[in-house]
Amino acid sequence: MGAFLYGVFLQWKLDMRSKTLLITCYIVPLLFFAVMGGIFTSVMPQAKDTLIQSMTVFGVTMGALIGLPPSLVEIYSTDIKKVYKANGVPLYLGLVLTNISAYIHLFIMSVVLYFAAPLAFNAEIPDNPERYFISLAVFIAVSLSIASIIGLAVKDQAKTSIVSIIVFLPSILLSGIMFPIDLLPKAFQTAGKIFPASWGYRIMADYIFQLKNLLPLTVLFVLAVFACIILLRRLDK
Amino acid sequence: MSNAIQISNLQKSYANHMVLNGLSFCVHQGEIFALLGVNGAGKTTTLECIEGLRRYDGGSIRINGKMGIQLQSASLPEHIRPLEAVKLFAKWNQTSLDPSTLNTLGIYEFAKKQYFQLSTGQKRRLHLALALTRNPDILFLDEPTAGLDVEGRIALHEQIRQLKNAGKTIILASHDMAEVENLCDRLAILSEGRIAFIGTVDQLNEAVGKHYNIAIQTEKRTENYKSDNIAESLLRLLTQYKENGETVLDINIDRGSLEQHFIKITKGE
Repeated sequence: MGAFLYGVFLQWKLDMRSKTLLITCYIVPLLFFAVMGGIFTSVMPQAKDTLIQSMTVFGVTMGALIGLPPSLVEIYSTDIKKVYKANGVPLYLGLVLTNISAYIHLFIMSVVLYFAAPLAFNAEIPDNPERYFISLAVFIAVSLSIASIIGLAVKDQAKTSIVSIIVFLPSILLSGIMFPIDLLPKAFQTAGKIFPASWGYRIMADYIFQLKNLLPLTVLFVLAVFACIILLRRLDK
Repeated sequence: MSNAIQISNLQKSYANHMVLNGLSFCVHQGEIFALLGVNGAGKTTTLECIEGLRRYDGGSIRINGKMGIQLQSASLPEHIRPLEAVKLFAKWNQTSLDPSTLNTLGIYEFAKKQYFQLSTGQKRRLHLALALTRNPDILFLDEPTAGLDVEGRIALHEQIRQLKNAGKTIILASHDMAEVENLCDRLAILSEGRIAFIGTVDQLNEAVGKHYNIAIQTEKRTENYKSDNIAESLLRLLTQYKENGETVLDINIDRGSLEQHFIKITKGE
């Protein structure tokens, strides 16, 4: 247990030293919030009602899909994997530690948004903060699980960036944070349901833990975990 | 003498290419054993099969002791610091690395640097320290001095000798014949997936015959000769020079390097 906790602590420190994580988990989401928050609330005053949720969905999706995969590629597609294995460190450790560390960073960023949005743009605070944060916790976990598939499946950093962007863009555009989903063509509405961002936005904005909204996230998470197990086994060969 | 490692009829192929073709040898406890071979001879594959990093198709491997492994190509997260890596690996293996070992390896000299800032030599020393965190009985070193300058090489050789004196069995794969000649008790030469030679350096010299290179310098020129019998050849050559009225200024005798013997064996001569 001591070794595992030290691993979590160490990964946290490594992430703090990494500029990639700083940019994807903090600088870009907070900069996006500062610029787009002003635009959204000026153009559509009612955007204040869901500003915290929409900015959080953007930040978490960005931090998970763009920020996590490079860390995984660094471990699993280089000689680091061999060094871990040769020195008795289990292969899953890198995946677990990077996920826990990214989870903490994304949660911190989300908390910053939660308190900054009302101060900066007079945004509405969710009626039920407890349910909001539980929804947030579920959404971050599912987003990271999808990002983990990219990090384990793709072998080099350049391709990882491309795949991450390919998943990130429709996640955001079809999630409902930029414009209401109802305005999208039916095909796009359906396509948006593949990505956790649309479900995450729904559960955080509705503040409702309804089975119909949680079930898709649960299914996505379970499928992603299975995919990660299969990919780890393949990497172990 | 008991064996630290016993390999019998080891077989491994990639697609249709047979890399290890019934390899058999043993490594004695407490010795420094070298695995030599040209590129593609199967050294790294052999080591990785023994280390459990690669699956093999047939044969058996018996290991008597705990292993520590320094890989030929190794890496760590670029922002990790040396002592953090040592602590992580030691904690995971429920061991602790003696600070004096870290001191001997010079880890404290670059403890504040991050991995990506380390030189090749510093990385090699760090990976050796990581291999030692498991407190191994058997230590695998794959090209341990590749990319090191002369000073780093001498320092690492000294550390390897100290590890042997501490009772460790050391197996190293190397291209550096001088390194093998200086350090190793026994060596095996791999050729086309089989053992072409196994024994001591002296046995290797005997197996391929003693060939001397003689260089004789006179006022006019320097002539080179090869010989199997140094006394006879020198006597004959010096008599010849005297009869020709040439003054010999210098004589250089070279017994032939391990490298030359190695090339002969791998070429099947």
